[in-house]
Amino acid sequence: MRRTAYAAVCCASLALDAAAADTVIKNARIVTVSGTVIERGSVVISGAKIAAIGADVATPAGATVIDATGKTVYPGLIDGLTTIGLVEIGQGAAGTVDTTETGDVNPHAKAWVALQPHSDLIPVARANGLTAVLSAPAGGLISGQSALIRLAGSTPDALVVKTPIAMHMVFPTGRPVVDFATAFTQEPELKTLEERLRERKRNQDKELGRLKNLLEEAKAYGAALDAAKTGKAAPKPDLPMEALAPAARGELPVVLRADAEDDIRAAVKFADERGLKLVIAGGLEAWRCAELLKQKNVAVLTNVERLPRKDSDPYDAPYANPAALYKAGVRFAIVSDDASQVRNLPFEAAMARAYGLPADAAIRAITLSPAEIFGVAARMGSLEVGKDANLFVATGDIMDHRSQVTQVFIDGVPQSLETRHTRLYEEFKGRP
Amino acid sequence: MKRSLIAALTFALTPWLSAQTTAITGGTIITVGAQGVIEKGTVLIRDGKIVAVGKDVQVPAGAVVIDASGRYVIPGIIDAHSHTAVDGSVNEGSDSVTAEVRVRDVIDNGDINIYRELAGGVTTINVLHGSANTIGGQNAVLKLRWGKSPEEMVFKEAPKGIKFALGENVKRSNFTIPGQQRRYPATRMGVEVVLRDAFSEARAYKAEWDAYDKAVKALPAKADKPAAPRRNLRMETLKEILEGKIDVHAHCYRADEILMLIRVADEFGFKIRTFQHVLEGYKVATEIAKHGAGGSTFSDWWAYKMEAHDAIPYNAAIMASHGVVVSLNSDSNELARRLYWEAAKAVKYGNVSEAEALKMVTLNPAIQLRVDKRVGSLEVGKDADVAIFSAHPFAPDTRVEMTLVDGNVLFDRAKDKGSREKVPAAAGGGQ
Repeated sequence: MRRTAYAAVCCASLALDAAAADTVIKNARIVTVSGTVIERGSVVISGAKIAAIGADVATPAGATVIDATGKTVYPGLIDGLTTIGLVEIGQGAAGTVDTTETGDVNPHAKAWVALQPHSDLIPVARANGLTAVLSAPAGGLISGQSALIRLAGSTPDALVVKTPIAMHMVFPTGRPVVDFATAFTQEPELKTLEERLRERKRNQDKELGRLKNLLEEAKAYGAALDAAKTGKAAPKPDLPMEALAPAARGELPVVLRADAEDDIRAAVKFADERGLKLVIAGGLEAWRCAELLKQKNVAVLTNVERLPRKDSDPYDAPYANPAALYKAGVRFAIVSDDASQVRNLPFEAAMARAYGLPADAAIRAITLSPAEIFGVAARMGSLEVGKDANLFVATGDIMDHRSQVTQVFIDGVPQSLETRHTRLYEEFKGRP
Repeated sequence: MKRSLIAALTFALTPWLSAQTTAITGGTIITVGAQGVIEKGTVLIRDGKIVAVGKDVQVPAGAVVIDASGRYVIPGIIDAHSHTAVDGSVNEGSDSVTAEVRVRDVIDNGDINIYRELAGGVTTINVLHGSANTIGGQNAVLKLRWGKSPEEMVFKEAPKGIKFALGENVKRSNFTIPGQQRRYPATRMGVEVVLRDAFSEARAYKAEWDAYDKAVKALPAKADKPAAPRRNLRMETLKEILEGKIDVHAHCYRADEILMLIRVADEFGFKIRTFQHVLEGYKVATEIAKHGAGGSTFSDWWAYKMEAHDAIPYNAAIMASHGVVVSLNSDSNELARRLYWEAAKAVKYGNVSEAEALKMVTLNPAIQLRVDKRVGSLEVGKDADVAIFSAHPFAPDTRVEMTLVDGNVLFDRAKDKGSREKVPAAAGGGQ
């Protein structure tokens, strides 16, 4: 298996090395995302960039022509929250999991130093139109820093588009964590609701206190570093504080994972008081505080295909969550929050669409919106002249499960659509 | 389990109807039966059964009419692998053979996921024991008769079934349970041994009982009976498997373990009804088809553990093309709500026709659970289990608008939304 994987990778790097001639995708329906849909037009790729788009675009001499009659061109999809590159097999193969460092304060853990460019997950995601993802550490209190990566490249550095994108944290909820060491052997202690609420508040205050202190300390450390530039004595080396300082100062976005309404509200308050540049990840109940998120200009990275948080919630609350955010004018991206299922990102958007999100907003939530949230919209996220030629051709609506992706370009380079899955398919489909 | 206020309110508005005639009119009916697709057709329901399906069906006076104009009407979706409505733990994980325990004894009829699944068009689920054990407990096939008692939810006509499991979960290779000793088996070799061991014992148990039954039969009418062998509930269940009275639903991943189970079953003379998950089924599809087993798989889950590393989304297509009856299941309260899109993925991966793909979440699981005489398609004489969609069930903006079980409207999106107005905390939650 490994051998075939490497063979495929060799082809990919050959393609990367080849000087890309101009390519024209003709007669296509073009979903630009940033502008109106062009019902029949061309996209010209020159080198790594989009050179022209329109209904009446001349084909440059010598260009490779792709006739996309009946097909649709989209900007490459961007998944704003994944662990791609950091995990291969989630369970039972700990050696392939690099998402979560020991201890719960790891601001100096950086996703981009541990990326596996030959992960089987990358071609699988790419084959359904994904061209970039946010690869982020997870877990603990401060998980580490994320990278925006392109889904093509033979070395970790070749994958990287931008680092760091954000500091990732898990908002302390104070809720008890299931302890597997005792869950099977001990009866749970009986507590009243009041006792449980008190305990939760106590736990949460303690953890928030820690987070607050860490941020204060990081700010002070940053100030000491600045002072050192003007001749003052340099502080002792402290890698976590050095890493945390830009987030503490509100320069680097902080992605805080929170699902429950009260946690989201508390996270917004916490970030507001400290001038953090907040992005909420998860956001299962963001619809319950959409006005606040709008008012405080907080962006949300949310996955759609989840169960409601409470039994008493509307059955479609997670499905309708993006529509509620859209209506309130909140900045948001639809994400997979996964690794192996990143290819299903357009279907998460489809579910949001089925439950009230307009179709154009749904495609935006998996292209331009995450690019804007991560500050890379000048380069990607829509089909515009001058942007990176990250795009794909599909037989129909990419949010329709029946559509096929026929071509994928990343930085102007046509990508192989072969995956571990297509190879096994070819090997076994005709087995007698 | 507290029930959703909204769901409860909705339910309060939908009394159970017994002798009532209902007509679903004007919609595109995908019958999944011999009648194929009917444009602007009518499904006529009386006493919970379908009494007519077609284009020119007379709607009797007094019938309740559900206008499905512009909508798609399909048979209720069937999930062949569910753990919904199990009260408490799904695994009797203390031993690797626990054939004696029964899911039907622990049905939580108030599980809100029942209602949520109705809202995804699901009407029948196969509630299985967990996969901790080589031979787990017995299943319960349920009709999602929301509001009814656990006993009334049980699909009485469904034959008994049992869960087997192979591979990593049974070996417990991915976790240890603190306080519990390492359990046999710890290898796939050991899993085979557990099976052969159990069925060897069961065969001897059966021989003992067969001899006793024969002896009793041979006795004169009023003669004293000899002492019966000691009854053992675990062996009793395995004996019924050997007699073909209980269907085996076997959780499995890798090709080797699938072949192993086929050989063990052949040796002991019983059949595997379905291979569940069966993510490498595509590698041994011929062998599965030859054994006569069905395959109930995920559309595209993969890489979440080692034994899912070779899982491919073409699995359903390859198994089907080799003659295996294939269903797509959820194994998840969340995924169960969108099985119609799981079916659509079979079109994407392997070019399964739309008609065959829809069968994978309707008629095929019905066949696998041997309830296809009752459910799985919209045909005269079958139960009126129906899902009404706003658009083609595979379309990117489709939504379930209404779900009927035995002719009763148990989910109605319009009513559900209306109910939200009465629950301030829920307002604004849906669109």
